[in-house]
Amino acid sequence: MEPESKIRVLIAKPGLDGHERGAHVVAYGLRDAGFEVIYTGLRQTPRQIVNTAIQEDVDVVGLSILCGAHLSLTQMVINGLKEGGAEDILVLVGGIVPEEDIPRLKEMGVGEVFTAGTPVSAVSNFIRAAVSAS
Amino acid sequence: MPENKKETDKIEQAEKQWQQQVIEKRVARFNLSKSPTRFYSPTSIKNFDFLEKVGFPGLYPYTAGSNPFDFWRAYAGDAAKTGYRPDWGGAGGVGKYGGFGTAEDYRDYLIRMHAMGRTGGPNMAFDLVTQCGYDSDSPYAEGEVGRVGVAIDSFRDFAVIYEPYTGNLEIDKVPSNFTINAPAAVIIAMYATLAEKRGIPLDKLRGTPQNDILKEFIARGTYIYPPGPSLRLFRDTCVFCTRYMPKFNINSMGGYHIREAGATRVQDLAFSMANAAAYIRAGISGGLAVDGFAPMLTFNAFGGSMEIYQEIAFQRAARRIYARMVKEKFGAQNPRSMMIRQPITAHIGCSSTTLQRPLNNLTRAVVGGIAAGMSGGIPGAFPPYDEPLGLGHSQEAVQLQLDATRILIYEAKVADVNDPWAGSYFMESLTDEIESEALAEMEKIENMGGAVAAIENGYMQKAISKSAYERQKQIERQEDFVVGVNAFTGSNEISVNVNRVVEATYDPQLLKTAEKRQLRKLEQLKQERNGRAVSAALSDLKKHAKDESVNLMSDICECVRNDATLQEICDVLREVFGEFQQTKL
Repeated sequence: MEPESKIRVLIAKPGLDGHERGAHVVAYGLRDAGFEVIYTGLRQTPRQIVNTAIQEDVDVVGLSILCGAHLSLTQMVINGLKEGGAEDILVLVGGIVPEEDIPRLKEMGVGEVFTAGTPVSAVSNFIRAAVSAS
Repeated sequence: MPENKKETDKIEQAEKQWQQQVIEKRVARFNLSKSPTRFYSPTSIKNFDFLEKVGFPGLYPYTAGSNPFDFWRAYAGDAAKTGYRPDWGGAGGVGKYGGFGTAEDYRDYLIRMHAMGRTGGPNMAFDLVTQCGYDSDSPYAEGEVGRVGVAIDSFRDFAVIYEPYTGNLEIDKVPSNFTINAPAAVIIAMYATLAEKRGIPLDKLRGTPQNDILKEFIARGTYIYPPGPSLRLFRDTCVFCTRYMPKFNINSMGGYHIREAGATRVQDLAFSMANAAAYIRAGISGGLAVDGFAPMLTFNAFGGSMEIYQEIAFQRAARRIYARMVKEKFGAQNPRSMMIRQPITAHIGCSSTTLQRPLNNLTRAVVGGIAAGMSGGIPGAFPPYDEPLGLGHSQEAVQLQLDATRILIYEAKVADVNDPWAGSYFMESLTDEIESEALAEMEKIENMGGAVAAIENGYMQKAISKSAYERQKQIERQEDFVVGVNAFTGSNEISVNVNRVVEATYDPQLLKTAEKRQLRKLEQLKQERNGRAVSAALSDLKKHAKDESVNLMSDICECVRNDATLQEICDVLREVFGEFQQTKL
């Protein structure tokens, strides 16, 4: 890895849902793949996530959502990033997302949606390609 | 068993020969470094004492089963003849787990269910706002009101749900389940208050609150206060239920959630047993005799993997560990105290299901059903195959799930023998192995100061997330295989499409407007109630909360009676107890 410019990733759990296995696994996996990973912990409002992303100057925000409210929560985060002038931050979504909602998330500006069974290596490869292209 | 030494030596000798002449040859022939299979002989369980290790079903140490047969097995024939559907609920039980929107929405749903003959008691799912001790007007509530369960802000909401439960369905006849943890004391107080207002004696009430706060810190995340004060609230509910609601179960402890969060089998067993020990100590510290309340502790199906042999051994080891712990460590004498009471035993857990080729999940659930049937439980195929699709279970998936269980009971006759593996060299050896590993882990936790200390110092949380990551790495390195996920994914495999009709259980229009309607009700409540009485009740609660020795249930009941909101009650306790700060991993 090139230590001088590690890609910074914020893994975030918006809302009150407490199922964080996926968030933990992805955070560990991305860290081992050479990224700098910040995990917000539970019960974050979209506003708090946006603020952390901007303050920490991250390249990527990964939202872990399993409560069914992925459309509204993601929209709030994306709007917040735009308002904060941080629309260049890549937003990814992971968790339980019905197939028909994936195109809707991408229309909002989500880079990719990773559902159950995705290897962490697929996530890290995607981030590397997307961030180096931008 | 070959007790005499001569016989044992003979077998050992023969085993050595077999190892050299058969196994090693075969390993060489296939060019392996070691044998991929194992065989167990009497040498695997030397000095096996049947009565000490296994005993008979329904007798200590309960390895062979908590009971030789349960209600469902006793009347299996009648159930088949009358076409009984367990998901509909009956006179003796609760209905399907559910809940959404406002109390009115959920009430109307229950009325519709009753009209269809589904007359089981309410089996309530609460929204996350309620589970985390907030009201619908909290900034945390936005977008979450009524979403994953019903929204309860005050006793008024709670009472609305019970409007259709009168006459034959009165609450002294029908039990209720409450899947609630951190605010369990408030919900139990609401149930007691409902009975009081209806003139129903509390000792007639039946039901089960989840009331298993310790696993929330480890696995599910809906905690409020730090573990110590949380356990104090458990103590208060435990004493209250024992004294006034003796037919009402005290809690429903879950190892299931811990496993789903990533725990290994041994961690699941050790952590849930350590939690159980903490609850028992809490009850004793409240002045109760262990046999006075331990019979009303329950478990909710711990376990959860595809490894059928290990899951069977796990259930056997769990029953033995729990029985011995409650008897030897806590001095129980009542056999009912020593038994693990849980509705189902083994199962695969939702995390064993895959989004890829989802119909395969039916096959997987059947494996879990067989493990359950062979370990003293109803051979329940769980969950419905479309679980990971995230859209709710379809009618077809539920039908196939029910039928799979029926096929295991009636056609395969899986449940006709208790503990069919009893005495198996392999199963007894595996049971011993899981037991001794779990006991070692339990001792480690005990040495830290018990479950509360092992949560406060983050030990359990870290251990589980590491295990979850290890499991993920195993899958990514193909050290373990999941069909359709990390193996057999080539272009020559075909996806199987299935017809699914998702029951329109919850009206999407109602879901959309629930938050608004709930907010209006809450506002109205705050205008109508006697504000002075609310403040007085809350201030008594606060005063008593500061004294660890006081049982808070009568204060909480008084708050509920006076229409204090759930969050107002929880906020008072937040002020005194503080809030749990999550461990940094």
